[in-house]
Amino acid sequence: MAEMKYNVPNEQWPEHPETATLEGKNKFVGFWTFLGGETVLFASLFATYMALKDSVPSSDHMLAADLFHLELAFVMTMLLLTSSLTSVYAVYHMRNNNFSKMQLWLAITVLLGAGFLALEIYEFYEYVHLGHTFRSSAFGSAFYILIGTHGFHVIIGLIWITGLIIRNATRGLSVYTAAKVNTAALYWHFIDVVWVFIFTIVYLLGVI
Amino acid sequence: MSEATAKKRGIGSTIWEYMTTVDHKKIAILYLIAGGFFFALGGIEAMLIRLQLAVPNNDFLSAGLFNEVITMHGTTMIFLAAMPLLFAFMNATVPLQIGARDVAFPFLNSLGVWLFIFGGIFLNLSWFLGGAPDAGWTSYASLSIASPGHGIDFYALGLQVSGAGTLISGINFVTTIITMRAPGMTYMRMPLMTWTSLVAGVLIVFAFPPLTAGLFLLIFDRMFGSSFFLVEAGGNTIIWEHLFWIFGHPEVYILILPAFGIFSEIFATFARKRLFGYSAMVFATVLIGFFGFMVWAHHMFTVGLGPTANAIFALATMAIAVPTGIKIFNWIFTIWGGSIEFTTPMMYALAFIPSFVMGGVTGVMQAVAPADYQYHDSYFIVAHFHYVIVGGVVFALLAGLHYYWPLMFATMLSEKLGKVEFWLFFVGFHMTFLIQHFLGLWGMPRRVFTYLDGQGYNAANLISTIGALLMAAAVITLVINIIITVAKNQRVGRDPWGDGRTLEWSLPLPVPYYNFAQLPLVRGLDAFWIEKKEGNGEMLPAESLDDFHMPNNSIIPFVMSLGLFIASFGALYFASGKEWAIDAVADLPVRPWAFWVLVIGLAITFISMITRSFKDDLGYYVTKEEVLRDLEEQERGAK
Amino acid sequence: MGDLQEKPMTETQLRNLRRQRTKEMRLQLTGFSFMIFLTFMAFCMVALEFDPTFIMGIVILFAFIQVALQFYYFMHMKDKGHDFAKLFMVLGLYFAIAFCVTFIYIVWIGEPI
Repeated sequence: MAEMKYNVPNEQWPEHPETATLEGKNKFVGFWTFLGGETVLFASLFATYMALKDSVPSSDHMLAADLFHLELAFVMTMLLLTSSLTSVYAVYHMRNNNFSKMQLWLAITVLLGAGFLALEIYEFYEYVHLGHTFRSSAFGSAFYILIGTHGFHVIIGLIWITGLIIRNATRGLSVYTAAKVNTAALYWHFIDVVWVFIFTIVYLLGVI
Repeated sequence: MSEATAKKRGIGSTIWEYMTTVDHKKIAILYLIAGGFFFALGGIEAMLIRLQLAVPNNDFLSAGLFNEVITMHGTTMIFLAAMPLLFAFMNATVPLQIGARDVAFPFLNSLGVWLFIFGGIFLNLSWFLGGAPDAGWTSYASLSIASPGHGIDFYALGLQVSGAGTLISGINFVTTIITMRAPGMTYMRMPLMTWTSLVAGVLIVFAFPPLTAGLFLLIFDRMFGSSFFLVEAGGNTIIWEHLFWIFGHPEVYILILPAFGIFSEIFATFARKRLFGYSAMVFATVLIGFFGFMVWAHHMFTVGLGPTANAIFALATMAIAVPTGIKIFNWIFTIWGGSIEFTTPMMYALAFIPSFVMGGVTGVMQAVAPADYQYHDSYFIVAHFHYVIVGGVVFALLAGLHYYWPLMFATMLSEKLGKVEFWLFFVGFHMTFLIQHFLGLWGMPRRVFTYLDGQGYNAANLISTIGALLMAAAVITLVINIIITVAKNQRVGRDPWGDGRTLEWSLPLPVPYYNFAQLPLVRGLDAFWIEKKEGNGEMLPAESLDDFHMPNNSIIPFVMSLGLFIASFGALYFASGKEWAIDAVADLPVRPWAFWVLVIGLAITFISMITRSFKDDLGYYVTKEEVLRDLEEQERGAK
Repeated sequence: MGDLQEKPMTETQLRNLRRQRTKEMRLQLTGFSFMIFLTFMAFCMVALEFDPTFIMGIVILFAFIQVALQFYYFMHMKDKGHDFAKLFMVLGLYFAIAFCVTFIYIVWIGEPI
């Protein structure tokens, strides 16, 4: 039985540890393919939102311009943008084979993401109190499914990265775990990409 | 785990092996069995439809049951029969054609097949649990929101689960073909089956998410109280039509492209000629894939999108005929001057050309938007899409079954019975559907459960029904053929057709579980043919004989899919009797346990995902000694 | 599958690589500040209530620039071996725009075109 070659000594640490094995390369290509699919998934939801924006059964329902606060959206955007940068740092340290720093930056990413999520929950809570719910109108349904699907992705991303921090704590960095970290980082960036369109199309264009 | 020990296994451990397998060849067999089962179900439904329509004023099926039967016929045939059967052939051939030991994500491959199987079972359980979906396979929202009972819920949830499986398989094939090709296998040396699988995989990646989104909107409307399609709450049902056809049109290309791939292989093999215009074929495949996304609104010409929108989509639709025409001519030129061998697969391939062209021509007729107002919702449409789907896809599936049977099972289906089957099917097919063009032009609408006497539809409908019975006879012949072949179990060796051109035929039969003892060196298009012509008779190795890495089996995909299957029941009954529910389910008894079933099902799936993620699944190594032993055994067998 | 497919680097190569990476991180930070700047500008323009049609165009343009930066820098799309990633994203965005345009114009909201 040949030994597993995932644990690479530091001096042999490859330039691109995340794609140094065939498995890693597969994950990399497969995940980008998946992101292509995610693009059209969100496109469908964006399109649905655009078609149903401000489409309410009667005039006593609140519309986009009455609902959205730019301040909250701005803070959320800053949190998520920054968390995207911190995950870049994590990948940077992963490539330099610096395990503890990588874990640290991943943890910071999770904290920022959790902050974003908390604000989003607060925002939903507020809207529900104003009578803008998932069941109140087609506009409400379209709004919550678009923002909610993004929020769901954030939750998955948080669980994913937290899981990686925990599972790798005892295992350390190898070309096997590096591929996992890189994939999670790509996912996290993609969540940020979707958010850029959400704050532009839903919030900014919603209030003008 | 060599072939000898595998034979000694009991039934129980064989079932366990298939439940946990990550081997693409075994997954192909799973797809074939499950897809074949659903094909039979869809076929029975088709027979019921034709029997009901055989004579005017028939009361063999009630109107409501007829709606359920046509809905389930369409849904089953597209999602649970045609696509899985194509996946069976893609799994069986693509890794072998590119010279890989397995697919890129063996675990996901297994997850894909189990999601499909559980989704299919869920959908068909509707027959026993209060009635099947009855809003047509397109399930237009205005109809599906109003449909009482849980039928549509079965449709939405079943397709959601099996659709997830398809998406996963699509990603898997794209990645496999991009990263796992053997040394020397450049893109322009890939066999056409691999090329069409790649393009179909890309189409799946971009077409299934809109369906997922659309189905979620439907699920939320019907089961969780949202109002995407409830016009009184500001909703809009046209959104469903768009989302469905954004998926639905690429879907027909997802079906037809691998079918084109199978035929391209068969033409080259049995005409004993290199495929004519290989690069034009590749180009046409990619172009069809791209255009396939730009034409979905031609299904909606009569919705009233306006003349500009109709004109744009009409033009794009006509443009697709060009690359398809390129393909047809290339196949004809491949046969031209070849030394043709009339085997069963080749007969299907030859019959495919005129049949498919007829379907294509009526397609271009419908692309003319004003004319489509006449054809729309008539039997002309039914005839058209059966000509492309049966004349294209089903012919390819039957041809592929005969052609790839030795590769999958190391035995040969009887050629004599195969030809009987072909003629029955060919005649039956044209008899059923040719006349339906005229029925449509005479004014018979589709989706009606009966018609009155004296409208001039009687004779044509009876002819159509007799044709359908002939097709059923063909399928029964095929089943008999399979039973005889399995019972006889006469093993065949390497390259059973004698004219294999591509890598998969260079392997010993049955194919070892690791496929290639040494990865082959590919020196051109039709790699195996080149080596045969140069007198080597087998592929040159690209690496020295050494230990290599293989993935572990796992039960987790099965458990994950089971979790979603259970969760679907929770979602299904969630809205029953709730005050906020839509009228269709508001009067049903309340099911307080539904929420907990949903939670438990999702928890099972989630926990299996976490388990998978926290385990280091490093696979195992196949040793050089074992491979050498197998090679020796093969040599002895050959002598 | 577990076998390494890259050769180990020499000491000098490694040192160069480290230096290159530090430089790249600086570039990432520049990109990040630019993204923050764009976001800030977009929010400001809306908050100051400029002409809506003007804002609409500019804000969407900013979004696309920001996303391109995310892809190229944060997601390393500018590096080698990202051809398929680019293909999938360009195709995805193309389809996305097509979907949005049809959903705005031809879902029976307003006059058919």
